[in-house]
Amino acid sequence: MKKCQFCGKPATVHLTQVINSEMQNVDLCDECAAKHGLFEQSGSPLSVLAALGEAMFGTTNQNLAVNGLICSNCGCTPTIFKESGRLGCENCYKDLRPLIEKIIENSQKGVKHLGKQLANCTSEGNGNAEREAPAPQKHICKNHKCACKHDHKHDLGSLKSELERAIAEERYEDAAVLRDKIKKYSN
Amino acid sequence: MNELRKVLFRDDQETTSMPIVISSRIRLARNLKGYKFPRHSTRMELSRVAETCKSILLGCKLLKDPKIFAIDSLSATERCALVEAHLCSIELSKSEFGAGLLVANGNSSAVMFNEEDHLRLQIFRQDLDFKTMWLRISEFDDYIAHSTNIAYDANFGFLTSCPTNVGTGMRSSVMLHLPGLVITSQVNVVINAVQKLGFVVRGLFGEGTSASGSIFQISNQYTLGLSEIDIISRLYQVIISVIANEELARKWLLKNKSLAVCDNIGRSFGALSWSHTMGSEEAISHLSNMRLAVDYGFLPQAWRAGLDCLLVNVQPSHIQLANDKQLSTEERNIQRATAIRKFFEKMPSLKF
Ligand SMILES: [Zn+2]
Ligand SMILES: [Zn+2]
Repeated sequence: MKKCQFCGKPATVHLTQVINSEMQNVDLCDECAAKHGLFEQSGSPLSVLAALGEAMFGTTNQNLAVNGLICSNCGCTPTIFKESGRLGCENCYKDLRPLIEKIIENSQKGVKHLGKQLANCTSEGNGNAEREAPAPQKHICKNHKCACKHDHKHDLGSLKSELERAIAEERYEDAAVLRDKIKKYSN
Repeated sequence: MNELRKVLFRDDQETTSMPIVISSRIRLARNLKGYKFPRHSTRMELSRVAETCKSILLGCKLLKDPKIFAIDSLSATERCALVEAHLCSIELSKSEFGAGLLVANGNSSAVMFNEEDHLRLQIFRQDLDFKTMWLRISEFDDYIAHSTNIAYDANFGFLTSCPTNVGTGMRSSVMLHLPGLVITSQVNVVINAVQKLGFVVRGLFGEGTSASGSIFQISNQYTLGLSEIDIISRLYQVIISVIANEELARKWLLKNKSLAVCDNIGRSFGALSWSHTMGSEEAISHLSNMRLAVDYGFLPQAWRAGLDCLLVNVQPSHIQLANDKQLSTEERNIQRATAIRKFFEKMPSLKF
């Protein structure tokens, strides 16, 4: 019977994780697995590995010049991250970038976001304004004059180059939408 | 009956169910711009985030009949019951000030706030229709993004408190009932193969061949470097092939080990129908055999959804909450057996 790598009790959770194309096995008891957020359905094996410390992926961290890093907004450091498995704020992604990049390289499929973009203003006019919570101070997006709370920076220049690209790629439906937008924001 | 009990013990239970698949889920992690992530926040920040989240969520027309629970107002038993019902993560159930759970749309939508991230949107189904789930949760996500500013980076995507969730912030998962693979000792092989493809597998009640109930959850490991549609379709492919393997194992068992299969199912039926005390682990493994019996056609299909519901209702905290006075383990075992006997009174007999 395998023992929990944290406390030595009989292990009930066995995890296999590929790090730098090397298989790592982690054995944990229920309690330690829960403590490290393993049952928390995100199944974030990284925090478990992080908590295992240098012994397990020491080579990864020794190569890193991460020791002097600190987030100017929340004070989070690589050590705090290693202990808690959590970053402190969105700015950590800027100030602790070498650490983040290393973690992402080890735990993710790629380094660039390929999923949906933060909702933009394309859905304007289909009832979003009506669906909004009755916010006390209603913000009007400066550029798009829609009810969403961002100031979208779709300046005319970028819209025009998007339009050119759409025409070049023969995406005529997109082009029509862009043309309407340009007309709307030119006034 | 208070609001929480209404959520946990619903009388308009879901009637759809399918063999092998118990349920599917998509979850999106989002954080509000300008606030520290919950685990690094002060009480003041936590309460401001909670107020913002609540007012946004309560204004959302996509959420029908929303109920909000402040975690620190719930007892330990109530929190555990929410985890047993898969509405709430263990992490949220252990959170205190500022943490909350919203449940809506007949338990098919739930939002955790001030968990590890400010917002975790969740959507559930009893089948594999990920396309519908994705459209619904994406629409919900758009509503949130139009109501407040979200922490986002063009390169890293949606920013989350743990970089293992960054990018899409999406975790999609399926809960599968795999007794065929467990009995034929193939489950560990399948789990290893699935893990090599970039998916995380965990047993719901124990691991590998010793998982009582033979219930496993499979979810995507990667959240960055793939689009949501990619993640979902890869997961779907994996699930379909696991299901095909489970079906083969079940056919093989019926053909080559039919005596053992029928004996097992018959004994479980007897134990569930006539026991006067039963621990939760024993109940789980017998109920798992009953789900298999329905899939084999030994019991009518209409009973599967009820069995799934019973599997949750026999968990320790559910048994405790269904009773007014504090129960010892022995008393809980008696209450559990009584509830199960009552359910099986109406059950038609096995037809092998
Ligand atoms: Zn341990
Ligand atoms: Zn920070």
